[in-house]
Amino acid sequence: MTRYAMVMDQRKCIGCQSCTVACRTWNDLPDDIIFNPVVTEGVKGTFPNVHQTYTPLICMHCENPPCTLCCPCKASTQDDDGIVWVDSKKCMSCKVCVNSCPYGARDASSMDPMFKSYVRKCDFCKDRVRAGDKPYCVNTCHQKARIFGDLDDPNSEVSQLIGSLETDRIFTELNTDPQVYYIKYLGGHK
Amino acid sequence: MSETIDIHAEGVEVKKSCCYFCHQNCGVLAYVKDGKVIKIEGDPTHPTNQGGLCCRGNIALKHLDHPDRINYPLKRKGEKGANEWERIDWDTAIAEIAEKLNQIREESGAEAVATAGGTTRTDDWSRRRFMNLFGSPNSFHNALLCWIPTFMIETAVSGWSPFETDLGGAKVIILWGVNPAASNMPGIHGYRGLQDSGLKIIVVDPRYSETAAHADLWLPLRPGSDTALSLAMLHTIMFEQIYDAEFVNNWCIGFDELWEHMWQYSPEWAAPLTWLTADQIREAARMYANNKPGCIQWGCTADQLGKTAGAGMHARALMRAITGNLDCPGGDLMPGPSQAYMVDEELEANEWLPEEQKAKQIGSDKYKLTSWPGYQIIADTAKETWGKAPTAEWMCEAHGPSVFKAIITGEPYQVRALLVSATNPINSYGDTKMVLESLKKVEFMVTCDYWMTPSALYSDYIMPIAGALERPIMHNNYGVTDSLIASQRAIQPMYERKTDYEFWRDLSVATGGAPEMWPWEQLEDAYYYVTYNLNNFGYAHSTYNEFVENFRFFYPPLEYYKYGANGFCTPSRRVELKSSILEQLGYPALPTWTGPAECEEDDPEVAAKYPLVLTTGGGFMPYHHSEQFNISTVRFLRHEPYFTINPIKAKELGIADGDWCWIETRRGRIKQRANVEPSVDERVIYAQRGWWYPERGPEGTDPFGALESNVNVLTSVDDEHVCQIGGSWANRGLLCRVYKVRFGDDAVDIETSIPGSLWGEKDIDKTAKANVEGGE
Repeated sequence: MTRYAMVMDQRKCIGCQSCTVACRTWNDLPDDIIFNPVVTEGVKGTFPNVHQTYTPLICMHCENPPCTLCCPCKASTQDDDGIVWVDSKKCMSCKVCVNSCPYGARDASSMDPMFKSYVRKCDFCKDRVRAGDKPYCVNTCHQKARIFGDLDDPNSEVSQLIGSLETDRIFTELNTDPQVYYIKYLGGHK
Repeated sequence: MSETIDIHAEGVEVKKSCCYFCHQNCGVLAYVKDGKVIKIEGDPTHPTNQGGLCCRGNIALKHLDHPDRINYPLKRKGEKGANEWERIDWDTAIAEIAEKLNQIREESGAEAVATAGGTTRTDDWSRRRFMNLFGSPNSFHNALLCWIPTFMIETAVSGWSPFETDLGGAKVIILWGVNPAASNMPGIHGYRGLQDSGLKIIVVDPRYSETAAHADLWLPLRPGSDTALSLAMLHTIMFEQIYDAEFVNNWCIGFDELWEHMWQYSPEWAAPLTWLTADQIREAARMYANNKPGCIQWGCTADQLGKTAGAGMHARALMRAITGNLDCPGGDLMPGPSQAYMVDEELEANEWLPEEQKAKQIGSDKYKLTSWPGYQIIADTAKETWGKAPTAEWMCEAHGPSVFKAIITGEPYQVRALLVSATNPINSYGDTKMVLESLKKVEFMVTCDYWMTPSALYSDYIMPIAGALERPIMHNNYGVTDSLIASQRAIQPMYERKTDYEFWRDLSVATGGAPEMWPWEQLEDAYYYVTYNLNNFGYAHSTYNEFVENFRFFYPPLEYYKYGANGFCTPSRRVELKSSILEQLGYPALPTWTGPAECEEDDPEVAAKYPLVLTTGGGFMPYHHSEQFNISTVRFLRHEPYFTINPIKAKELGIADGDWCWIETRRGRIKQRANVEPSVDERVIYAQRGWWYPERGPEGTDPFGALESNVNVLTSVDDEHVCQIGGSWANRGLLCRVYKVRFGDDAVDIETSIPGSLWGEKDIDKTAKANVEGGE
């Protein structure tokens, strides 16, 4: 079996937002859709004793995704390898799933024509992944801060990292079992 | 959506292109079907980026056919600046431009024609070739703000700038005034990787930058005081005797004079100037000198300090030398010009420019090292050593701001035509209002660009230029290194766009240049001429494209201690700690302190009115210089201009996060929004560079909003603020004040000015003023 997951190494992320832009161009997204923003609270502390952390966000491709259960037309689905995606041909853009996602990871574009609107979200670039490549945001990251792979393969880089380092996940208390793991880092010069 | 575009489909060709939006030239794979690029991605096999692409790299397709692109030659129809154009064909445009240039040459001499260049989007050896054949010495770039003075001073001292850091073996690196985490994505990845295996990183930056965040030692100095820090670190290394005595004895001359001279620059002397403690300065000097081998990475700051710049470059060149870090494993390597392929200088036809024309180069009487007087000495010495010289384009140029002034004042003579290629001078050259005045005033102006920029608006002709995917690109570090990375065009240029090479070639032939001087039909033919000799080095190829497809890059085997055989490429064959070349040009032979353009010590009355210290000019994602502001795919990341102010100061001034504020210096004021954040000292303001508003269009009193948020409204290029050695002006360490934009006080000042007029009556050259009033 295969279970895709992503590790975000916050020690390496420099907040350049290349992934954000790369995803938009690779997937040809309209201007009001962002699949993977990089958020930060800015520089904290008192100069010069300051620190800053960047958090790259993305669809968590949860093990228990609330967004698929609630979909009335079975457009929002999850494949066996864990990838959660929306079939644009089935979606009628009711946006129930948009409200159900605690991570804000999906939305319909207001720039699409009304009856052609559908909910868009990250699908881990499944076309690329199934052709043997990695999601485009992973390839484009100069800092190699995003690591993608198969959790069911104990030798994959993601399995090794999760097994050897302390990682964190977002909103685990909601029982979504998110599959994006963060190697946390409180920035700050040494 | 991506599912409709299949890069693996039949008939899709993969072209090895590259990004052209900064100097890294990261490799790009372009997927081409039926003559159209359908997709691009980072090239995983490219030595620079290994598949990575930043925000800018990823927008290549948005750039390629953006609705704002210039696609056809345009000729001005209405008043200058009125944005009324008629479309004409390329050959007619060339013929008409040539006729005008020939007329000017006949009436006023070839020197009345000047050309302004930008950052590398172009083959500027072809521009230089055109100028040399035409007979004018007045081509220039913003080069004096970007590495060139550093290169020339380091080359004067040690024979070739030791700019290539041999990081693999280094134990320490100083990232001095450079923020690779916002400007060089592959670079910061490399530094951080090596840091994990023990490399120590010293960052010199007044701001808690993305790079400073990862420093082992961060020196948050006063903006503009880098020279004082350099001198004090050199002092520490000398008098704590942590230099490499063996190297100094064997390979350096002038150490005793330097010893006497450097007593004055102690860390205690530098502490109040730099706002660092003497201990911090000592710690940095020790960390650098005791962790041998080590590197100093050049950063733009070095060249953007104004009148104090030269001494700092000189001091850092000496730091490298006396610690024995020159051309050694893990140190700063001095590649010298390539012996394997044709370097840029060999393509420039400099021998065609008559001596009497060289003497007319504007600014060469003042800023001698980076113009013909200094370049000639350096080029002659280099040719004796290698038979090759550094590039003249970039290294030997007219002084840009002085050319703009000459357009306005007619001093030292009237410049009548300006050919602008790949630059937007209103945003990128110092003293915007003077530059704007000059563009409005110049008799004849041609712009080669991708876009209608605030500067292009004042042109008589605009020529459409091919972008990254539409042209081959060769990366050889301005022709002063020994390696080469080659990329091919993905598609032929769209619409009627052509490469800048074709523009200069066509114009040269049309103005009477010999067609046999331009034997290359296409850029690929010229590049093949460059790479041809690599056939003798095991790189068998019969066309340039074949070289790209089969080899892509050429890295000769690393050779250390190249000076061992014949010494360094200086007049004395040693590292000249006391520089004979600088002395010969009339400059201090030893690094000698002069204060920043403006500072509290030297200008207390200015500091009383403008109590904050401004730093600007640094790159920030996702823009490069004044580019990409019209591409919505990245513009949404930084929609509006922001300056950074410390929360304590902001509170004192009643400024809240997000407030629109005026930033004001003696030259003028601009609006940016406040980013209240403790990433700078309470006394420092960091402002973003490059801002204009393409979406506002060319109408109104401030076309494209080019005066509203543009930091160069705040900078000065007046002679007394400019580095006398290299001619650079200051973006860092200017005195300013900041206050909220209020109702009734929100109008942008659109008055343009003659040189020096904003500095008060004392600076106005009376004759110059009379010339301006008398002109037109």
